Amino acid sequence: MKRRSLLQAAAALGLLGPLRGLAAADTQPAPAVDTLPPLAGDLTLYLGRGEGGLYGDIIDAIRKRCPDLNLSVRRAPAAALVNTLEAEHRHGLERADLFWSIDATSLGAVAAAGLAKPVPNDILQLIKPAFRYQAWAAISGRLRTIPYNPDRVEPAQLPTDIMAFANSDYRIGWAPSYGAFRSFITAMRLLEGEQRTRAWLLGVKPHARSYGGELGVVMAVERGEVDLGFANHYYTLRLKQGMPDANVQLALTEHDAGSLINASGAVLLSDKPLAAQFLRYLFTREVQSYLMREAFEIPMVANVEPPAGLPTPIQPPEIDLTQLTDLQGTLRLLRETGVL
Amino acid sequence: MNRLPLSYPAALLVAAAALSPIVVLLLLGFEADIDLGSRATEIALNTILLTLLTATLATLIGVPLALLTTHAHLPGRRLLLVLLAAPLAVPSYLGAFAFFAAFGSGGAIEVLTGIPTPRVHGLWGTTVVMALYTYPFVMLSTRAALHSLDGSVVDAARTLGLTPYRVLFRIVLPRARNGIAAGALLVALYALSDFATPTILGLDTFTRIIYVEYNAFGLDRAALLSLQLLTLVAVVLLLETRVRVPRERSGRPSRLPCGGFARAGTALLAGLVFCAAIMLPIALFTLWLVRTGAAHFEFGYALNSAYAALLAAGAVLLAALPVAYAATSGWLGRLCERITYLGFGVPGIVMGTALVYLGLRIPFLYQTLALLVLAYVLRFLPLAVGNIRASTERLESNMLGAARSLGATPGEAFRRISLPLITPGIIAATALVFLEAMRELPATLLLRPTGFETLATYLWRVYSAGYIGRGAVPALALVIVSGIALLLMLTGEASRNRAMS
Repeated sequence: MKRRSLLQAAAALGLLGPLRGLAAADTQPAPAVDTLPPLAGDLTLYLGRGEGGLYGDIIDAIRKRCPDLNLSVRRAPAAALVNTLEAEHRHGLERADLFWSIDATSLGAVAAAGLAKPVPNDILQLIKPAFRYQAWAAISGRLRTIPYNPDRVEPAQLPTDIMAFANSDYRIGWAPSYGAFRSFITAMRLLEGEQRTRAWLLGVKPHARSYGGELGVVMAVERGEVDLGFANHYYTLRLKQGMPDANVQLALTEHDAGSLINASGAVLLSDKPLAAQFLRYLFTREVQSYLMREAFEIPMVANVEPPAGLPTPIQPPEIDLTQLTDLQGTLRLLRETGVL
Repeated sequence: MNRLPLSYPAALLVAAAALSPIVVLLLLGFEADIDLGSRATEIALNTILLTLLTATLATLIGVPLALLTTHAHLPGRRLLLVLLAAPLAVPSYLGAFAFFAAFGSGGAIEVLTGIPTPRVHGLWGTTVVMALYTYPFVMLSTRAALHSLDGSVVDAARTLGLTPYRVLFRIVLPRARNGIAAGALLVALYALSDFATPTILGLDTFTRIIYVEYNAFGLDRAALLSLQLLTLVAVVLLLETRVRVPRERSGRPSRLPCGGFARAGTALLAGLVFCAAIMLPIALFTLWLVRTGAAHFEFGYALNSAYAALLAAGAVLLAALPVAYAATSGWLGRLCERITYLGFGVPGIVMGTALVYLGLRIPFLYQTLALLVLAYVLRFLPLAVGNIRASTERLESNMLGAARSLGATPGEAFRRISLPLITPGIIAATALVFLEAMRELPATLLLRPTGFETLATYLWRVYSAGYIGRGAVPALALVIVSGIALLLMLTGEASRNRAMS
């Protein structure tokens, strides 16, 4: 079993690389943390939290390694920090050196506001080519998936087109107030257009049930409360870690918003060399494999394997994550359709 | 009164500061060109419904408990009263947090006992939890009203053949009506301002949406919603000034015989309410402590809380004294005092929004501890001024007059007559402000300096991240702080009552 999923994962990786016709050959392996010099000096980090504790653990580990690093961390929801950064910029009160956030939407917004400093080339070289952006550094990936209950759903019958779920009669679980779901809808608006997205939301809504978060969605699928759901991949993997016989499997769609790979990442906000040095720590083998192991996130460096248990093949849509910034438009659509 | 008293400049300054959040919001509101759409109506409706339902439920709990603690002869009545008043001292986020974690599928109750419980959520969930922590307002104000009733009227009604129940509904409750209303209005004010309960339990009220908008779109929309919320607050405050609690010339304490059935029912209610509001959170937090331990908690969070609260208490004292003094000398001083009471009506989340905006305009204050302390001062100043004023009421004006006629300057009279008499009140007020500031959540969340984590914000962080088990230590620490605050409030009350009688 383990070997098979490893093989599957390797296949998935192979599909991630050439998707945009880019060879993975120029990707440098992530360094070990021991090869990096300890950090020293004052640094202010704005941390757009999500899976809260884990990033905190990484920060604590870096602090422990670098006793001369005087790191101030401001934690808040990612969107709040984007506002704060913009307001501070407007009033000439820049405080942060680095913004580390769980979603590309907020990173793109900061970049669009012209606050980002370019990511140094040596860091870009560590990142899988499909996820290289000038303005921000993708740190880990999360994949949109369809968790389904194998007792209720025949996998062969599942649509491979996300848009087809609107016309199905599956009972569907979703979490409209959750950030990743909103990014998924934003991606759908970009790929399919406003009209089709609205029709899709209205089509799914009558047979959908709302949950507070996507772990709730996956648990409802497992209990059989709904047949399937829309959720980030790691919720299913986490549930299965604690409950190996959990009655839930993962399916993917093909080249559409249903298999979007979104990324967490960081933006450099000041020219302080210390900010870039801190960022290099996040691309070490240790941090990348920690995120994979503890949070089941998909690593962005070539020499750390993705988590086991992902379905194959992964066929994400072609989309520039930086364009997922129009959260307001998505919220408007969700409200107008009565989904939110 | 030809010369302006020395305290005036200070009092005016404090009053100006107290006005500043509202002025800032008004300016921002006039500038903002935003259409909130039909959403605004829904939020307003939710908020108003929550306020009405909470006030009603709190009254339904508070009035029977007031009757029980006043009329029924129970052993340990004093202790019973303290226990039943205790929920008032518990910050709402602790209660909401506990109910959020205990109920619903996968909640602590189901995990421990296997009994499935419904999720405490939405309008009903928020109403129930909020009423559990606010009914003491009604209970205490009703008790005060019951105490002032003349017992001979009740006896007369009884001798004329009314049953105890009829006496209750036709004689006692109608005369306690205004006392009950005063308590219910306090509940309403609380329901309007509370941030944590609707936010945790998922009801879109003004306070919740102000925080959501602040996090999603920025200050302008948050400010606009804050203004709308302040309008509702103003309505409640206006109603409150209309309610006069009449004082009867009390002949003798009224006695109302309670049937065994009524007494058992009310006692059951008291037990239920106490278990839900106090025992449940404490049991849950203790369970977490045993399970998760104190890992991840840093003692520094408690120190940060205490440090900020200490600064706030000191600053409140410095601000309250001139105001309390100015209030004793002339209409302008009294006006200043009135203005400082505005902070009482400004919900924490609104205060936070206003001061973030203020901070952006005053760069040297932005993201500093000073701005956070300012928020505490403006919010809790009424508490201090009220307490200090209450003790100055003990001061008979002719004592000051005597001092003045014996040649003392106003300052000397204040120093030698007023100050010693009001010192206990000042100490109690300072301590109360300290404890309130230690527990404050919404304004702290918005205004704390980078990296400054307090007990309350750390608890919020573990809640947002879904690692609720890690909240055990800060939650229990806050329960202890709340316990001390409660004792302080009650002893303050007791000594004031003694002083009055």
